[in-house]
Amino acid sequence: MANTNEYERDRADSKIGKIIVDRDLCIAAAACIAVSGSTFEFDNENKAVVIDANAADDETLTMACESCPTKAICLMGKDGSKVYPK
Amino acid sequence: MQNYTYLIIGGGVAGTTAAETIRQLDAEGSIGIISDEMCRLYSRVMLSKPAFFLERIPFDTVWLKTEQWYVEKKVELLCGKRATGLDGSAKMLTLDDGSTLGYEKLLIATGGTVRYWDIEGANKKGIHYLRTLEHGKAIISGIKTAKKAVTIGGGVISFEMAELLKMAGLEVTMIIREEHYWSPVLDDASGKMIEDTLTKSGISIIPNAEVEKILGEESVTGVVLKDGRTVECDMVICGIGIVCMQDWFKQAGLSVNRGILANEYLETNLPDVWTAGDIAEYNDIILEEQVQLGNWVNAREQGVTAGQNMAGGHEPFHFVSFYTTQGLGINIAFVGDVCPKPDRTYIKRGSPETGSYGRLIVVGDELVGATLMNRTQELTAIASLIKNNVKVTGKETELGDPNFDLKTLIPAPAPAPDLRTA
Repeated sequence: MANTNEYERDRADSKIGKIIVDRDLCIAAAACIAVSGSTFEFDNENKAVVIDANAADDETLTMACESCPTKAICLMGKDGSKVYPK
Repeated sequence: MQNYTYLIIGGGVAGTTAAETIRQLDAEGSIGIISDEMCRLYSRVMLSKPAFFLERIPFDTVWLKTEQWYVEKKVELLCGKRATGLDGSAKMLTLDDGSTLGYEKLLIATGGTVRYWDIEGANKKGIHYLRTLEHGKAIISGIKTAKKAVTIGGGVISFEMAELLKMAGLEVTMIIREEHYWSPVLDDASGKMIEDTLTKSGISIIPNAEVEKILGEESVTGVVLKDGRTVECDMVICGIGIVCMQDWFKQAGLSVNRGILANEYLETNLPDVWTAGDIAEYNDIILEEQVQLGNWVNAREQGVTAGQNMAGGHEPFHFVSFYTTQGLGINIAFVGDVCPKPDRTYIKRGSPETGSYGRLIVVGDELVGATLMNRTQELTAIASLIKNNVKVTGKETELGDPNFDLKTLIPAPAPAPDLRTA
């Protein structure tokens, strides 16, 4: 079983419905936090967690996920499709 | 001669992020990236991570851009080529195949190459380095038959590789020149925490040691230390640093020190020439000094700033850098400027005995950096304190209390956490 955390997103102006962080892949590089610290933060186990799934617009959120050097963050569309990584 | 509006030397994360940023701002200007590797952007960071290294996730996870991405973004990737000369007044770059390329704006994001061992026998089979995808592939292949490995160097490569080699079932010995791990960036107490963790995992550490000679015919069979001891091994991972400087930088008239010197806009002394990533020694306006850093997040963020400025912007690079690594259940983080210099004072948080130990680095009345052992979660708060130039004089007691919430010192309204924007 993948060790993942899922976060629902319900921004009206967004096509993204869910943020999924794979805790096994996360290495705390903090690239996501550098791009969108209003969305991501570290927890006490030094893993990235989402503190506000609606904080960033789609462009910033996608950029934050793309910046991850281990592809630990996955974005799902509101229609259930995979937005990132493709 | 082919001409580019934007020419980028270096296909790593700094150069590629700059190209991506430029394309967001300029839909039409031609963009070329010159890379001395034979492939598109991949995750250098992933090369030393267990999931990838032990082949628990597909190899293709390493690619960060698809080939299609370069086509869609109209970014021309020129693989397997090196720059060898630059004529800044003619705005012309010479490549190793003798061809020349013209540019309107140039970015030098050449990163670094591994420092190769220059001791006797260093060309034997079984001696590995880790910087490129090809290096990674060679090690992944090598561990399948190797039994005993030696790592050289007391830094991140040794630390991460030792864990991986151990996980792969090899016997591992680390040889470090210093008395303690990651000295002098970490203090002895932090270094000892790492050593205890390594030792408990069954990894042997030989401190204060240097290799004099490598044994073996065609393949390595052992190393001889300067004190005469011999360590048997059939694999060596050598992590003794990287080299950033290239001969042509100086010949081109670029101002250099340890890296290429740049101002806070990442502009070099030559007109329309920027620099970013590991090679850039830039004016850090937060730390108020010239800084050169070698890490992924920093390179990516500089790629954004350089790209924006090449496309007509004029924004300073305003970012508190950080670096993290983890292995064998220990998390290590460096924030800001961690160089040990005489004007630094240190406030300790927690203790090695409790397994959670940080050092806040103070110059005058402000924080400039921190080293954190199993306290990575404080990284963003510390970066905010550094970025906001929060005065810490008189708050030493609170800062020294491991349970004190550092976020409460961030000036209101809580500016956290977008570290990039002010």
